[in-house]
Amino acid sequence: MNKTTILLSIAIIVGAFILTSAAFTVDQTQTAIVIQLGRPVGDEALGPGLHFKLPMVQNVVFFDARILDFDAKPEEITTTDKKYMNVDSYTKWRIVDPLTFYTKVRTIQGARARLDDIVRSQLRVALGRYTLIEVVSHKRQEIMDAVTARSKELLTPYGIEVLDVRIKRTDLPAENARSIYGRMKAERERQAKQYRSEGLEASAKIKATADRERTVLLADANMQAEIIRGEGEALAVKIYADALSQSPEFYTFTRSLDAYRRGFGQNTRFIMTPKSPFMKYLQ
Amino acid sequence: MNWDWEKLQKQQQGRPGGKPPSFDDFQDQFDKLKKFKLPGWKLIIPIFIVLWIASGFYIVEPDEVGVVKQFGQFNRITTAGPNYHIPFPVESALTPKVTQIRRVEFGFRSTGRAKTQTFQQGVSHEVKEESLMLTGDENIVSVQFIVQYMIKDAKNYLFNVNDPEQTLAHAGEAAMREIIGKGKIDDALTTGKQEIQAQTRELMQHILNLYDTGLSVVAVQMQNVHPPDEVIDAFKDVASAREDKSRFINEAEAYQRDILPKSRGEAARITNEAHAYKEANIRRAEGDAARFLSVLSEYNKAKDITRQRMYLETMETILSNPETEKLIMSDDALQKSVPYLPLEKLPKQPAPKEAQ
Repeated sequence: MNKTTILLSIAIIVGAFILTSAAFTVDQTQTAIVIQLGRPVGDEALGPGLHFKLPMVQNVVFFDARILDFDAKPEEITTTDKKYMNVDSYTKWRIVDPLTFYTKVRTIQGARARLDDIVRSQLRVALGRYTLIEVVSHKRQEIMDAVTARSKELLTPYGIEVLDVRIKRTDLPAENARSIYGRMKAERERQAKQYRSEGLEASAKIKATADRERTVLLADANMQAEIIRGEGEALAVKIYADALSQSPEFYTFTRSLDAYRRGFGQNTRFIMTPKSPFMKYLQ
Repeated sequence: MNWDWEKLQKQQQGRPGGKPPSFDDFQDQFDKLKKFKLPGWKLIIPIFIVLWIASGFYIVEPDEVGVVKQFGQFNRITTAGPNYHIPFPVESALTPKVTQIRRVEFGFRSTGRAKTQTFQQGVSHEVKEESLMLTGDENIVSVQFIVQYMIKDAKNYLFNVNDPEQTLAHAGEAAMREIIGKGKIDDALTTGKQEIQAQTRELMQHILNLYDTGLSVVAVQMQNVHPPDEVIDAFKDVASAREDKSRFINEAEAYQRDILPKSRGEAARITNEAHAYKEANIRRAEGDAARFLSVLSEYNKAKDITRQRMYLETMETILSNPETEKLIMSDDALQKSVPYLPLEKLPKQPAPKEAQ
């Protein structure tokens, strides 16, 4: 009884050991291939789940099945218009054929080296065909699509699928940036000047219009004034004429007397003869 | 058998990603194992089994979703509440927070705190290599923005991409630069922000969908967009030039509003003076005429005597002036003598001989 228990225990322990070294799980994020004495077993990579292998003679190599990132170092590139730019790109890729991948590049490190070679040269080639502004602006997507397509093609033999090559940053080298700053400054200065001159232009126009209106207003007023004065004078003449024409003789008489009175003031010498009517009563 | 379990438990704890059963329970069990040596066999095994079964319970919080893997393979999604999975090593559960909105900063870093906390204006610093970007009209603009995102698909999020957060950061930078690169600097600086945010969000989502990241971009918000430090003064000067422009115009309008009413006042004064002159002239004429007519009517009643009276009064007035030199000569003397007129002593006008 005791002996069988011990034997049973040993059997269970050994069995468990064999089981644990034979069974392995592949995570959802992984794929795996089984290597038997250095050679891959089977045609297909193993997907997620529980798998078995022969203990001791077979071992398992796991691969990341997720989309991986390859962030290339920024690189100076010359465009067709002979401008320099620093292009920073990244590549999204994954291992689609672990067997091929294992035999051709073996590790992620190895894959990165391949990616670096291929993506970099593809970018260089593609970017060299466009001008700087095309790269920055409307041709960007086109360039990225072309590089992605070409890199995909070139990396398929390694069991690698390139999903996307994307230009992250496009920067100018410091000296080019300086010249752009200079130009931006000049443009803004021009704009500022334009605003100010537009202001002065509008101001001068408004002032001139105001001055003109003033001059016209005053001239109008003066014209009106002369007309009114004329009317007044004309009416006065008519009133005088109406009244005086009732007795021109009397008017002449009284007016003459008024004139004498006013006219003979200082420094007047009167020479009179006794025959003058004024002297009538002196004789 | 016991020792095997211990090993397994230990292994399990060392493994990243797996959800270990409660460590404390295990520790208790371990202590118990030490205390009761052999007598426990019959007791220990059921306890182990019970604890093992119990380790399959897990709770999914309301903001989480449960993802259960069976032998590493995705098996099912579970929803909030208490849940059960077959215990280790068969199944394991992950509970990512899916409703939480996370944020990531581009072009600046808020200092001294984790990325997910609320944004505090003023305690951030610019990261120039991220913020400076080229625009479609070959200018450079500094754009600082944040992206808010959440996990839309827990399965994709957990299993598809090596580093979803970094992928999002890359996508954000690439998308914003692409959109800014298509536009003009003034779009970014002034009215185009809304459009840029919307387009960037869309492009980012497109990129993230391309990689099946399981992430959803909630919002792209531009925080601080300004011209690079090197040229900011020139840009500010444009703003003040715009102010100057309206100032010049306002000043001119002020001048206009000042002189025109004054001129209208002046014009009114001129015409009113003319009216006054007219009325005064007419009134004077009327007065004079009335006076003349009154006098005339009296004169007509006694013509001779009035005439004589007026004549005499006038002569009296003239002659009573002490300054007037008076000289009476007979007609003969006047006729015989040649009157000597000392011209230099004479007044300017020759004296009239006499009144009628």
